[in-house]
Amino acid sequence: MSAMIKQPTNSGTGDRAIANEVQEAVGEKKPMTIYRVITNEYFLYCVSTVTFLLVWQVIGQSDMFKGALASPVQVVLRFDRMLTDTLAGLTLWGHIWASTSRVLIGFALASAFAIPIGLFMALNPYVDAIIKPVFDIFKPMPPIAWVSIAILWFGIGEPSKIFIIVIGTFVPCLLNAYTGIRLIEPELYDVVKVLGGNRRDEIIQVSFPASFPAIFAGLQISLSNAWTCVLAAELVASRSGLGFIIVQGMKMSDTSLVIGGMVIIAIVAWTTSLLVIILEKLVCPWKRKLEGF
Amino acid sequence: MKSADYASSQYICLERDNMNTPKIVCQNISKIFIQKGTQRVHVLQDISLEVRDNEFLVILGPGQCGKSTLLRIIAGLETPSEGTVLLDGQTVTKPGPDRGLVFQSYMLFAWRTVMGNVEMGPKLNGVPKAERRKIAQHYINLVGLQKFENHYPHQLSGGMKQRVGIARAYANGPQVMLLDEPFGQLDAQTRIFMEQETERIWQTEKRTVLFVTNNIDEAIFLADRIVSLEGKLPGRMASVYDIDLPRPREHTDMKFLHLRQMITDASTLTL
Ligand SMILES: Nc1ncnc2c1ncn2[C@@H]1O[C@H](COP(=O)(O)OP(=O)(O)O)[C@@H](O)[C@H]1O
Ligand SMILES: [Mg+2]
Repeated sequence: MSAMIKQPTNSGTGDRAIANEVQEAVGEKKPMTIYRVITNEYFLYCVSTVTFLLVWQVIGQSDMFKGALASPVQVVLRFDRMLTDTLAGLTLWGHIWASTSRVLIGFALASAFAIPIGLFMALNPYVDAIIKPVFDIFKPMPPIAWVSIAILWFGIGEPSKIFIIVIGTFVPCLLNAYTGIRLIEPELYDVVKVLGGNRRDEIIQVSFPASFPAIFAGLQISLSNAWTCVLAAELVASRSGLGFIIVQGMKMSDTSLVIGGMVIIAIVAWTTSLLVIILEKLVCPWKRKLEGF
Repeated sequence: MKSADYASSQYICLERDNMNTPKIVCQNISKIFIQKGTQRVHVLQDISLEVRDNEFLVILGPGQCGKSTLLRIIAGLETPSEGTVLLDGQTVTKPGPDRGLVFQSYMLFAWRTVMGNVEMGPKLNGVPKAERRKIAQHYINLVGLQKFENHYPHQLSGGMKQRVGIARAYANGPQVMLLDEPFGQLDAQTRIFMEQETERIWQTEKRTVLFVTNNIDEAIFLADRIVSLEGKLPGRMASVYDIDLPRPREHTDMKFLHLRQMITDASTLTL
């Protein structure tokens, strides 16, 4: 009976067993059938996008909205003109850059302060006890609520806009750096202790790298907040930027300008968030590949 | 098991040439955790045991009976409420490179490759890069992970992750290996294979081993000696079994099964 279940015993069998343990998906080429093509997700993406644009185009051309809905073709033509014509002295690129630079400056300023403060709070209970009560007062305040006070304090120039962005991005940056460290499995610190490391090693080898994914998640939220804030600021008072384009379109009843402005904001915001994703992939190559961007 | 036949006990005697000096001594260890200032959790009660040099000692007990706590006390991560732990006659007060710990949930650094994980001990102790790479490579090969040096933990299966955990502990050059239910998360087949690997690694790189498990088969397969704990808090010592079966052992061997029955019967009494 015991001979039946003879187990492999000593070295040499190691390789074979490990090969069984590796989880590898073997990508096989399957033949193209009509069923496979129409159920392909990329094919379906294209179908839904094209259908959406077509429906929009048809509705835009009809007078269902009495000219209040520009068609995709009108929007594209309008923005083709914007590339060369100027609005308030700036071409489309100038306005895009005006908004983007505000976002980037505010975002950089906020993360440069918020992340270290968040890390400090999470790592040191005294810093935590001092900063947390004050932070908790500001935390639930929507950043847009700061627009008026920002204009009163800083006027309608660049500083007020950047101030609002800093306010809007500060909270998620700090919060995510903080929770990123707080959620670390305490036994990971024990590993460092057992291997002979001190408190400094624990922070450098565990706290920082383990909190990177949470910090990057915070940066993503911050970035999307930053775009909301810059829009709000530009809608209220501005002579440049994508928010300004939208306001101008509204004043001139130029719906293709308004809709085009919205679309461009979406594209630019998406591009900046893509940059954060790329940065994350460079800094955290260990993370599982995220599905799609 | 005192009734082992002559041949096998002689085999064991050869193995145990230098096993007579105690490497670790636990003297009357008790542990009471104080939770939220007032609540007392009595986890360990009066544990006294000796681990001989190069002995493979298994601590056997069901879940939640204080096994991890005992191992953490020996590792120096917790202080006992009463009693002392001696390592080579010296009182243990904090973790040290003389003891390596392998965790039930692997606890690998997700942001480091297999190589990065295994070389962490030497790195923290200031071993120059070239040298620690060599040490790490030796243990990566020993656990059979050559060609996986540059993989990240999430690319490995459970069994491979624990191989990294074992290599990481070994690479720091400990005299004592402490393993806390290292195969508890593996499926039954991988588990049996990893037990054989553990035996092979231990035969190649002899160390004093303290191995915690809740699995009777695993205990009998690996142990020179089994210390069983009672199945309720506070954890107390129930019995000690000498396992005089020749190695490598067979799970289906008559003596193995007999021993298994005996320990099972004894432990159901205390549950
Ligand atoms: N740090 C702690 N504080 C309070 N109670 C603890 C602590 N660590 C462990 N315990 C308690 O000790 C008991 C036994 O834990 P443990 O040593 O992990 O048992 P085992 O490893 O045998 O499952 C658990 O029920 C747990 O509630
Ligand atoms: Mg445990």
